[in-house]
Amino acid sequence: MALYETTFPWLSLVLFLPLVGALGSALLARWPAACRALSIFASLAELGVVAWLFLVLRAGGDGWLLFEDHAWIPAFGIRYTLGLDGLSLTLAVLTAFLQLVAVLSSLGREKTRVGLFYALLFAMESGILGVFFSLDLALFYFFWEVMLIPMFFLIGVWGHERRRYAAIKFFLFTLIGSLLMLLAIVALVVLHGQDTGQYTFSLLALRGTQLNDGVSHALYFAFLLAFIIKVPLFPLHTWLPDAHTEAPTAGSVILAGLLLKTGVYGLLRIGLPLFPGPAAESLPWLAALGLVGLFYGAALAFAQKDIKRLIACSSVAHMGLLAVGLCSMNAAGLEGAVLQAVNHGITTGALFCMIGMIEARSGSRDFERLGGLWGRAPLLGGFFLFFNLASMGVPGLNNFAGELLILIGAFRAHPLLGALAVGGMVFAAAYTLRLLQGVLWGPPRDEAPMADLSAREALTLLPLAALVLLLGLQPGWLQEVFRQSIRALPLALGGGAP
Amino acid sequence: MEAALPLIPLLPLLGSALILLLGRRLPPAAPGLIATATVAASAAVCLALFPLSAGEGIRARLFVWIAAEGFAAPFGLLFDPLSAPMALMVTAVSALIHLYATGYMREDPSRVRFFVLFNLFVFAMLLIVLADNLAILFVGWEGVGFCSYALIGFWYREPKNAAAGQKAFLVTRVGDVFLLIAMLWLASDLGTLGIREINGAAPALPPDTATAIGVLLLLGAAGKSAQLPLMTWLPDAMAGPTPVSALIHAATMVTAGAYLLCRLNPLLLQSPAAAAAVAAIGALTALYAALSALFQREIKRVLAYSTMSQVGYMLLGAGLGAVGAALFHLIVHAFFKALLFMAAGCVIHLFGGENDITRMGGLKKTKRALFWLFVAGVLCLAGAPLTGGFFSKDAILLAALSRGGWFFALLFGLGIATALLTAVYSFRLLYLVFLGERRASPDAHPHSVPRAMTVPLWPLAALGLFGGLMNLPGGGLLDGWLLPLAAPPEPASHAAEWALAAAAALMVLAGWALAQRRYRGAAPAPETGAARAFRSGLFADELYQRALVRPFKAFSRFCRRVVDGRVIDGGLEGGARLLASSGGWLSRLSNGSVSRYRLALGLGLLGMLGWMMVSVLWP
Repeated sequence: MALYETTFPWLSLVLFLPLVGALGSALLARWPAACRALSIFASLAELGVVAWLFLVLRAGGDGWLLFEDHAWIPAFGIRYTLGLDGLSLTLAVLTAFLQLVAVLSSLGREKTRVGLFYALLFAMESGILGVFFSLDLALFYFFWEVMLIPMFFLIGVWGHERRRYAAIKFFLFTLIGSLLMLLAIVALVVLHGQDTGQYTFSLLALRGTQLNDGVSHALYFAFLLAFIIKVPLFPLHTWLPDAHTEAPTAGSVILAGLLLKTGVYGLLRIGLPLFPGPAAESLPWLAALGLVGLFYGAALAFAQKDIKRLIACSSVAHMGLLAVGLCSMNAAGLEGAVLQAVNHGITTGALFCMIGMIEARSGSRDFERLGGLWGRAPLLGGFFLFFNLASMGVPGLNNFAGELLILIGAFRAHPLLGALAVGGMVFAAAYTLRLLQGVLWGPPRDEAPMADLSAREALTLLPLAALVLLLGLQPGWLQEVFRQSIRALPLALGGGAP
Repeated sequence: MEAALPLIPLLPLLGSALILLLGRRLPPAAPGLIATATVAASAAVCLALFPLSAGEGIRARLFVWIAAEGFAAPFGLLFDPLSAPMALMVTAVSALIHLYATGYMREDPSRVRFFVLFNLFVFAMLLIVLADNLAILFVGWEGVGFCSYALIGFWYREPKNAAAGQKAFLVTRVGDVFLLIAMLWLASDLGTLGIREINGAAPALPPDTATAIGVLLLLGAAGKSAQLPLMTWLPDAMAGPTPVSALIHAATMVTAGAYLLCRLNPLLLQSPAAAAAVAAIGALTALYAALSALFQREIKRVLAYSTMSQVGYMLLGAGLGAVGAALFHLIVHAFFKALLFMAAGCVIHLFGGENDITRMGGLKKTKRALFWLFVAGVLCLAGAPLTGGFFSKDAILLAALSRGGWFFALLFGLGIATALLTAVYSFRLLYLVFLGERRASPDAHPHSVPRAMTVPLWPLAALGLFGGLMNLPGGGLLDGWLLPLAAPPEPASHAAEWALAAAAALMVLAGWALAQRRYRGAAPAPETGAARAFRSGLFADELYQRALVRPFKAFSRFCRRVVDGRVIDGGLEGGARLLASSGGWLSRLSNGSVSRYRLALGLGLLGMLGWMMVSVLWP
């Protein structure tokens, strides 16, 4: 079926279906049970639609698989332009999948204002999908902001002890980035308009803008800042450990799994293609920051006392390696980076889920109070071990495939870069083994019986575990979905094959 | 027939999966039996396919695993004259160790976990052995790292055990880093990770590149094979159940590094410098570990250092290009080391869990059969004439001797000196454990030794004693079998061969005599300072603690407290405060009205979202 010739607004459907869930949850706020049922149903429906699109379109080749274009605010040349290619398709599937995981891991743990909680969660999903689909910079910016507000409230209202601090920090960091980006977008549109007489926010039209050197550097820097705060790259990462740790489980899953990926996506889709000259100059610097982050994040993770914070810091390390792959600018490195964006979402999402489960049982996330979990809840221990092995890059599991491609790409781009990045393996092992030691092994802290995984928890984790294996053994299955799209991005690809 | 090749690794994996899924529902003996049966079946397949491995051997391509432009790692297996004997040894010895484990673990409540991991361990090792490209080899390579971690720390309630497992994983992963860098280099220079392709294309590599890659491979091998400078994990690896030690030391894991260097020997020999480095590390480790073994007090630690020392010989052989000799020693060593470890497990049982050899003695009187089995192991380890260990060690020493030049003469000297030390510590073990008076504390009451723990020792003793037949000097079977892959050893003069054999025999006799004088009957003297130094492996652990572990911990604390806490956050907060104090919108954010402000903004944006939806759907 030639879906891309259809006039049915599939992308709008995908984009607004979660909003229906959000509205429904808000209306059913008085009946928490109904809210939860609706949320499961809505996230399943969304995943169903996206997964169906994925299966139909995955072999679609290059170009836009789906495209929608309407006038929205004609006075400013702002259009409602959505496009889906293999890259956004991949991230959309990840979004719908992690949304379901986030909902399932929240059931009964939302504490207060259940309706609002799910409403925000779904509003955020719309925002994230909007970021992945938008081809109009105004629209993009709009969704970029939309996805932040629900997260701000999720952290601030449903978070842990230091939620206010974490929420404000998260807000300030991202706000500074996005305001600069807004300025840069407006400046770019105006300059493009003066140059061509056509005032448009269309990403594709703006790609050809002629800019003088200083201006293009300044504008690129503004975009770059917004994106690398989101990724995040060292030294702009300090919002992350606080936000991830203080957020409720669902918030942490979405933050690590998806929000960080919007930064990567922004770089790939917007930042690098809009300003090829300054982008090429910045790559070595970005690679260096990624490399520093890889080691720094791991060292930071090693020093934590709170297991959730440890996982949060490990994200800094993972995203550092991902940035190294991105900066290698060859097929292996870029494909590895996108693969790793998905892999990190799955493994870290799973780990945050599990930390929620551990905390619910033991009432603590502190190394001092955990330990000996294996003997008390073996199934939980087994899953925890499995996802940690995946996260530390044991071959055969998902993260290794992405990491290997990133490393090959980095080594081809610059042997020293690749060789140094490999060293991250030892650091990853150091903090992961410390985590396992502190949580699973040793004598149990108290002999009170601990419930092993419930059926619902096991059902949440099983699909994640299946994906860890599938993407570990057959990464090509996903790679071929986005391979053409990456090649089609107007990036200055470096040498690939020898 | 060829289609059966994947069964060799898959059968143990299948066993592992079966035990994992069904283990708790089956009778208590079932996990051990399933594990043993699947590994034995794998050995049978290996034996049946063995003839097909001659010459070019056979390959199986299962699927493409990881690929990108200019790089592909197919999931492929290679069954050729090098991997076939190795796979046969791994599966056969593992099957015997599994059988032993069914007895050893019969009362352990965590049998299911044990046998899941035990089978997985064999699977991972078989991937290393049968991999037809380095990416697949790396799967097994890290796989054995994980399995050793989980099995060394098997009795995890004791934090000390878990820490030993962690150390094994971490130290060997340091080696893995170097192997992975070598792989990246090969992938980017040769565009392939296929083992045969790499060996074929190796002559095209620039000399410096070949040297660098060779040294990286050496470091990778040093991690898994516990060679200098990455040897510190092995002595602690005793924390696991004894069958795990037997498996790590004999059939899996420790031999992986030596095997890798044999597998990529043509590449290694491209660089004389790298090959010499391999040989030197091997010889030095052999001596270092033999000296340390001499002063150990725990029976399993003596054996652990002896493994390190013997693997050193294998590296010496690989560095000399004597692949046949190295593989020969690897296989014979697997037989007698599995025997020694499993016999040691029986000894520890019989002394009621006692591990200290200074508190043993006199076991010969009550356990004659076990004594003679242990004697067989000791004779092989010491390299007594006509045992398997004698021929295999001699083949390596002969290769060093016939190379000529002061450097290799020196390595030969180290090798001969190690042979003497080996004989001393082997017989020391025998005397302290089995002969003399019983020194065990009277309240140590022996556990019984089930039959399953003694049956596997007999075939291993026979294989160790008569293993020399596999590759007799002067055109042995194994050397001939390996012809398609490795050059046969330089024919040495008969005079040199006989002189070496006589010298080696002399070393064994001298070692025996020394051990007899010192340890027969007498209770061990108190430890001197030098002895303490050697017992701690020349303070290597302490050194690494001070040079690496503590600085890393301090660095990571520094990152958390100072860099993240004060420098970055402090700087940003200071900046924000500065802006805020200058008035404007930021000051409103930093006081309590943030959430109201954001709520207004959020509602506004949601309103826009709604407007957009309406304008799109009803244009």
